[in-house]
Parts: sequence; C-alpha cells; structure tokens
Amino acid sequence: MSAADDLGFKSEIEITKDLTLPKLFVTQAKKFGDSKVAMREKEYGVWLPVTWSQYLEKVKQITLGLVSLGLERGDKVIMIGDNRPEALWTEMAAMCGGGVGVWLFQDCLMDEVKYIVDHSDSKFYVAEGQEEVDKALAIRDECPKLKKIIWDDPKGMRHYDDPMLISLEEVMRIGKERMAKEPGLFDDFVSVGKGDDIALLFYTSGTTSLPKGALLTHYNLLTMGQNLMRVDPCVPEDDFVSYLPFAWIGEQMMSISCGLQIGYTINFPEEPETAQSNVREIGPHVMFAPPRLYEQFTRTVQVKHLDATWLKRNLYNLAMKIGYHSAELKFEKKPVPIQWKLLWKLAEWTMFSKVRDQLGLSHVRHAYTGGAAMGPDHFRFFHAIGVNLKQIYGQTEIAGISVVHRDGDIKFDTVGTPIPNTEIKIGENDEILSKSPSVFVGYYKAPEETAKALIDGWLYSGDTGFIDDDGHLVVFDRSKDIMILNDGRKFSPQFLEARLKFSPYIREALVVGNKRPYVTAITCIDYNTVGKWAEDHGINYTSYTELGQIPQVYDLIMRAILEVNKSIPEAAKIHRFANLYKEFDADDDELTRTRKIRRAFVEDRYKEIIEAMYDEKEIMHMDTTITYEDGRVSKIKADIRLQSVKGGGSK
Amino acid sequence: MSYLPCGTYFESYADDQKWWRTNFIKGKMIALVVVLAAAPYIVGAQWMSVLYTINYYILAALGVQLLIGYCGQITLGHAAFVAVGGYTSAMMVLFLPWPQFMVDTGLVYPISIVCAGFTAGLWSVLFGLPSARVKGFYLIMTTMAAQWITLRLVITQLSKIGGREQSFPLPPGVIKIGPWVIDSDEKIYYFSVILVIVCLIVMGNLLRSKIGRAWIAIRDNDIAAETMGVNIIVYKLLAFFVAGFFAGIAGAFWISALFFVSPENYEWFYSLLWVGIILIGGVGSIQGIVFGSAFVVMVFKLLEMSVLTLSDFLMNSYPELGWVTTKIIFFKESAFGLAIIFFLIYEPNGLSYRYWQLKNYFNLWPFSYTGK
Repeated sequence: MSAADDLGFKSEIEITKDLTLPKLFVTQAKKFGDSKVAMREKEYGVWLPVTWSQYLEKVKQITLGLVSLGLERGDKVIMIGDNRPEALWTEMAAMCGGGVGVWLFQDCLMDEVKYIVDHSDSKFYVAEGQEEVDKALAIRDECPKLKKIIWDDPKGMRHYDDPMLISLEEVMRIGKERMAKEPGLFDDFVSVGKGDDIALLFYTSGTTSLPKGALLTHYNLLTMGQNLMRVDPCVPEDDFVSYLPFAWIGEQMMSISCGLQIGYTINFPEEPETAQSNVREIGPHVMFAPPRLYEQFTRTVQVKHLDATWLKRNLYNLAMKIGYHSAELKFEKKPVPIQWKLLWKLAEWTMFSKVRDQLGLSHVRHAYTGGAAMGPDHFRFFHAIGVNLKQIYGQTEIAGISVVHRDGDIKFDTVGTPIPNTEIKIGENDEILSKSPSVFVGYYKAPEETAKALIDGWLYSGDTGFIDDDGHLVVFDRSKDIMILNDGRKFSPQFLEARLKFSPYIREALVVGNKRPYVTAITCIDYNTVGKWAEDHGINYTSYTELGQIPQVYDLIMRAILEVNKSIPEAAKIHRFANLYKEFDADDDELTRTRKIRRAFVEDRYKEIIEAMYDEKEIMHMDTTITYEDGRVSKIKADIRLQSVKGGGSK
Repeated sequence: MSYLPCGTYFESYADDQKWWRTNFIKGKMIALVVVLAAAPYIVGAQWMSVLYTINYYILAALGVQLLIGYCGQITLGHAAFVAVGGYTSAMMVLFLPWPQFMVDTGLVYPISIVCAGFTAGLWSVLFGLPSARVKGFYLIMTTMAAQWITLRLVITQLSKIGGREQSFPLPPGVIKIGPWVIDSDEKIYYFSVILVIVCLIVMGNLLRSKIGRAWIAIRDNDIAAETMGVNIIVYKLLAFFVAGFFAGIAGAFWISALFFVSPENYEWFYSLLWVGIILIGGVGSIQGIVFGSAFVVMVFKLLEMSVLTLSDFLMNSYPELGWVTTKIIFFKESAFGLAIIFFLIYEPNGLSYRYWQLKNYFNLWPFSYTGK
C-alpha cells in the first residue's frame, strides 16, 4: 500500500458515524470554492465548467426548493435521466434535505417504473425531459404517493400544463426565495443528518427475480469509497467521466462515494451517443465500466486493425506479440528480461501509446471492470497495450465493491483480494459471504429477503466461489458456473461465452449443454462488424435477421468458434450453433440492465431452437414476438439455420 | 475536424478556437521559427535568394489564394497589383520630399509599404467592381484587363516622371527600416520572413472571423450566401481590397530585393505563375501557398542547375551539339506547365492535401480511420 501512503492517506477524511454525504459535500465545496472545477458538461461543443461553489449554490437552491414543496426527512426522491450535472445536483439536494435518492434506469419499461415508484413510496419524481415525464404521467394514477414531477430539459415541454409538473428552474427559484428569507435553513438541514441515515434506496437488477430495494446509509457509501481509494488512490486533479447509468451502483460509487471524498472532476458527455468520443477528449484517469464496454473497445480495435493498411497492420501484429509476451510474464509474476523490457518500450512508443490514445485510455491509471465475467482474451489484450485493467467484485448490497485486483497482482480468472476493512469467506454451498462497514442495512419493505441476505453482519451474496492459494477470490456464475454433460463431463458456459465474445463478429452468446450430449451455442452477431464484413465481401442484406442467416456469415461465425474450440478441452468444444434473429435485449428481459445474461430465462425462451439443435435439424421455423423500446410488441417470423461445427465437440 | 490527442478539451470557445491548442503544435511552431531563423546558416549564401524568392511568391500568391481559394473569384491579373505596390513604394521612396529626420530614422520605406498596400488594394477594388455583375470566365477577362491596363499605364505614363524611363534603380541605402539598412541577401531574407509571418497571421485570423466565413460562404454558393444575409458585393470588394493589399506589400517588399523596379518584373506570366502556385499547393489552404511557392521555386532552381550543368557538359564534350543547349534552356518554363498539368490530373487537391494525408497517416496510427 505504498502508493496509498504517497497520495491518499495524507488527505484521507475521517469517517465517523456523524458524517454524512451532505456534510462532506459542504466541507469539500467550501474547501475548493471557486478555485476548482467540480464538474463539466459538454454543451454546445465545449466543456462548460461548474465550480464547487456553484455546485453548492445549485444544491442549496434545489434542496430548499424541494423542502418548500414538501420534502420531509426520509421521503424518497426518484430520479431518471441521462448523466448530467442536474442529476447529481438533485441527488445531492435530496440527501441534503434528509430525503432518500432512488435511481431508475433510463430505458426502464413502464411496468418497471411503476413498480419501483410505487414500491419505493416516492414523493418526487425528477425527470430529465419529455420522455421521462411522459412515463411518470402514464403511471401516476397507480402511484398515489407521488406528489410532484420535476423536469429540467424544456425541449418538448411547452404545452405541458399539468399541475403536478414543475420545472427544476422553478424549484430552484422557490429555493432561492426561501434561502433569502431563511439563510441558515440549508445548514440546519445538513447538520441534523447522521451517518446511519439512509442515503440511497437502490433497486438491484437481479438476474433472477423482481428488483429488490437495497437501503444504503451514508456511512456505507463513505466507507466504501474510502476503502477503495486506499487501494488505488486518486487525486483531486484527476478527471472522471460519468456516462454509465446512475442507477448502477458502480457509477454511484465513482461519482458520489469516491468523487466526493477525493474531489476529482466529474465530466458529463454531451449525449449518450457521443460518450465514446467525449471520453477520449477528457482522457479520464480512472474508469469503471462493465465488461461490455471493454469488449466494445477490443472489438473496435480488432475491426479497425483489419481495415488498416499493410504496414500498419503488420507493425501492430508485431507490437502485439511483444505486448502479449510481456503481459504473460507479468501475469506469471516472472521477471521481465531486459531485452523484452526494451522491446516493450519500443512497442509502447510506436504502437501502444497510440492505440491507447485512439481509445481515450491515455491517462487511465486504474481501469476497473465488474458486474459480469470478462474473458481472459480481453484481459490479456488490455494488459498487452499497457492498460492497467482490474477485475472487481461487489454488489449493490455492499455499496459497490468488496474485492479488487492489486497492482502487479493480477490474475484474470480471479477478482482479486478484499479491500481494507473487508472480510470475505466462503460459506455453505460455496456461497460467498462478506462483511464490511459498507454492508447495507436491509431491503426496503422486505424483511424476509433481508433476513436471508444479512445474517450476523455477514452479507450472503448468493454467488458461489472459492478462495485460491494466493488468497484471490474466484467467483462462479450466479446460476451455476460449471455445467455437466449427460455423460458426466464438465464445462463452463460463462467461460466459453466470454471467449466467443472476443471475436469482433459475435456480440452476445449463450452456451448450453447442461445434461445434454454436447455443447451448443446461440450467437448474436455484431450488426456493425458483420455488416461491414458483408459489404466488403459483396453480400447483400436488408436487416439484422437476414444478415444473421446468410450461409457465409455462418461460416464466418464458425471460424470464430473453431478458434475458440482450438484451445479448450474436448468436452467443452462447441458442436453446433445458430445465429439468433435478434440481439439479446434488456427490454425483453433477456439481459439485466447491466447486460448480464439471464441464463435460465433465455434458455427457456429459446428452448425450441435449442431442442432443434439437439435434434440435428438443419433449419427451423420460428414465430415469436419482440418488444420495442417504447413498449410496443411485434411479431417476427424467421427461419433459423442450425449449423454443425467441423470437428466440434464429440458426442 | 482536426485531430486532437486524447485528453485535450476546452472549457470555452476562446480556448476551442485557439491556434495552438496542444503542446505538440506549440513545439512544432517554435521549431519552425528556429529553423527559419537558422536557415541562412544552414543552407549557405547561394541559396538565400531562393529562400526569399519563395517568400516573395508566398506574399504575392496570398491574395490570389484569398480570391480564388476562399472567395471563389478567379483572378488572372494579380501581377498588376504587385506592380502598383512596387511602383508606389519605389516612387514614394525616391520622389517624395521627405523631411530629413524621417529619412534618417528610416521611416520612409515602412510608410511606403503601408501606402503601397492601400494603393494596390484600392486599385484592385476598381478592377473587382465588375465582380458584382460577372462571374467565372468573364471575371477572368476583367482581371486580365487589369494586367494590360496597369502595365501599359506604367510604361506610357510613368516614363515622364523624374525625366527617367519607366524603370528606376534604387540607390543603395534608401531601403532602410529604422536603423536597419537592407543591403544583403541575408537581411532581405529575414525581412521577407517577418513579412510572411505577419501576413499569414493576418490572413489566418481574417479567415476565422466573420469576414472570412462570409468569403467562404460566397465561394461555396453565392446565392445561398446572399440568402443568408451576406452582402456579397461588399464582401467580394473587401476580398479584392485585401488581396490587393497583400499584393501591394509583396510588391513593396520585392523592390528591396531587386533594388530596381521595371515592368518586366510584373509580366502576365507572373499572374499565371501565382495561380499555378495555388493549384499546385492546394486551393483553399494557407499551407498550400507555402508548399506551392516552395515547390515552384525549387523546381525552377533545380532545373536551372541541371540545365546549366548539362549545357556545360555538352559544350565541353560535344561542341558540335551546341545548338541543343540553346533549346534546352526553354525546358525550365515548360516544366512549370507540365507540373500544373500533372497536378491537375493526379493531385487536384494540391500538396497541402498530401501533407494532410501524411499527418493523418500518423494521427490515425495504427488504424486507417477514426470512429467505429
């Protein structure tokens, strides 16, 4: 922990049971004042800065506005919308006023919104713009506890005159007036808070059942941030880009728990669509993203690499060989010989620094991934190009994370070792139990669930795993990591899926084979890359469905599968596969909102295809329904080809 | 969109519009200034005249680039305005009754440069007036008229002034800026570098202002520009004025190198040459002017050198082939024509586009495009 001594510990705050996020926020805002930028938002082509004193001012206004509108201690304020400064202001204001913040994923369907608004007893609904307001208006009759709907983006809102609606600007104006009358009111509100008060009510996107609301206290969040920062300290000069949903605990952890303690600058992209290029402009020093984002990075690199000119392509290949070799030595904790060090320097100078620059990872000191498993190929790739990518493990119930890789001690099949003040042990049935100051206080209105998850201060995660010889935690899949073929041979579907997804042409995959004669896979092609590949090869297509069913595309996917099959044991080799007519989607409940696959559900949904694969059919007819983003449902008819892989797993 | 490295972001438009936005660019610019300052010591004395000729062509072609490349007004008479500048400056220096202290302090020549700019600018506006009515080929004809009218006027009218012919030698010591007497190739070179830098900065700043945007709008589609509220006549005339102004400065500079003014320095060939320079360098690019001028001057110089060597060789080894040497002298001029043909066919976007491609090749390294 030497790095921590240099940077973090000196400025580390003391967390007492009296400290709350609002109290810390006020202290930090007063400390940094106008001299430091708290957040930036890209608007109209430039990064408009908000200093800490402006931040404080806005939060004061919103807090008092909410209070004037009837916010009382313990009231829930539900929020939905893109990542933008107003989102953090309202969240902070809700906490300052003694309320509890609740976040919704922006692409939540109406039923989910209704369920969470109703279940959380929310009094205020803070929407970004028209779309979110419409959702609220549609469900408000079924959620009688909802009092006010607040919006901040005026686009399309001109003709809305519902008495329940109020603009954020108006709320701030009310707050400003109140502030003029009672200047000490805000400080009074902040000072009554206690560390054990509930700060956030977080709905987990469980892979199995209805969302459960985890109650997190200020103390939970603060200790979480501090313990993570003890492992990988950040400095106030760092930049962080906030573009993943606030309804994901990882984003809360980085923006609130860590961000507030360190005081680094939080940057908001212009639009979700521009996030990638905006990230590149900022060049963040720390990032935390689910695996799919890193998978997207590798896919981008692979595709662009294939399209590069001869010289660039070959130099890249050469540099990557050096990179992979050096990364391999590091993983094995072997000393890197001097000639390899020199070669790596050369490759770093001519290739890796540019690749990182193109991806926007030039300044990244620590890159975290978590929330789902990531394939070893991706891990090797990032370490080869010199990105310090680490796996972390945690859950909403522990306010973020509990286990992380340490610098220089990275094993890609593990998630690392516990962060300070955190204990991990393996309970019955290999269940992972954890204990730390950040463990939540319980589920909202679900004492039974709470009793199951929280016993003697230990958090029962429901995940299984083991601790290896180096003290690293290894996590199995939530359902079951190891599947067994009906002749008793074992394989790991998650591992296979992760390997498959390293191919730029495969976006999602579901590997099946439990209690079956051999392993098969349902693959979702990547529309962009496969589409481009088809164009390059003069193949016509009109839609995702049609593209996926073209024989040449099947051969393309098969080559990717053969590549995976090469390096895995005989039993695990994929024998047959089918390209699905659509991508897995969270709106169809196939993925969670953080894009983890809901294995049991998907297997059930596509059981016809799976059956057909084991029936050795060549083609099957499919009649199904799909759900659009706006909730509309439509029917799809398609013929699905089923193809055997040459030399696939034995039967 | 220009390429910026990761981690470059701007919190205000002022920052976003800066010229030197990254340390790399700042470094490049500083290196360029150092190279320009050290050039006389690097290349040697015999190349000095080549360097300041490049700079002269840059100054002269600047106005052509403005008119053709940024305002879409094709001109083929630019040498006329350079002539106006040269004559204005020379005659002001020679014939005006300057008070002695101004002569001593070296203010005469600098003042004459500014006046040359204005005179040439106004003269250019005069010939730009038809641009309000005519476009394309017809405008080419009117600008060519400027060439003939101006030179005839000079030859027929100026010969009477001061009882001399139309050519004036400038006595040593009159070309003086403050205490700095310009009397050597090296000084001419430094003087030209300063003028080029100042003029390029002015031009660059004009182009990113309202005026420059109006010019570009007129170039792209004059009717659309007018619909958007750009007063196209005013902006076209302004373009002619500024282009003439730069030409005047070029002309005023060139007398310091020639110590002499004479109509044959402003032949129609030069008007063509400067249009050729921007075609080779790249239409609508400031860098293009620099590349084009350097290319043309260097090609001429190298051809001259090889032709001389070749004819010497022929004279010595095969005296009976002497007639060939007189023929190959003309290779020089035809090479320029060939270069333009080749550029129009194989690289219509000019050298600046090649430069941009080269930069992109490394900016995009190790890929070939940005985005997804």
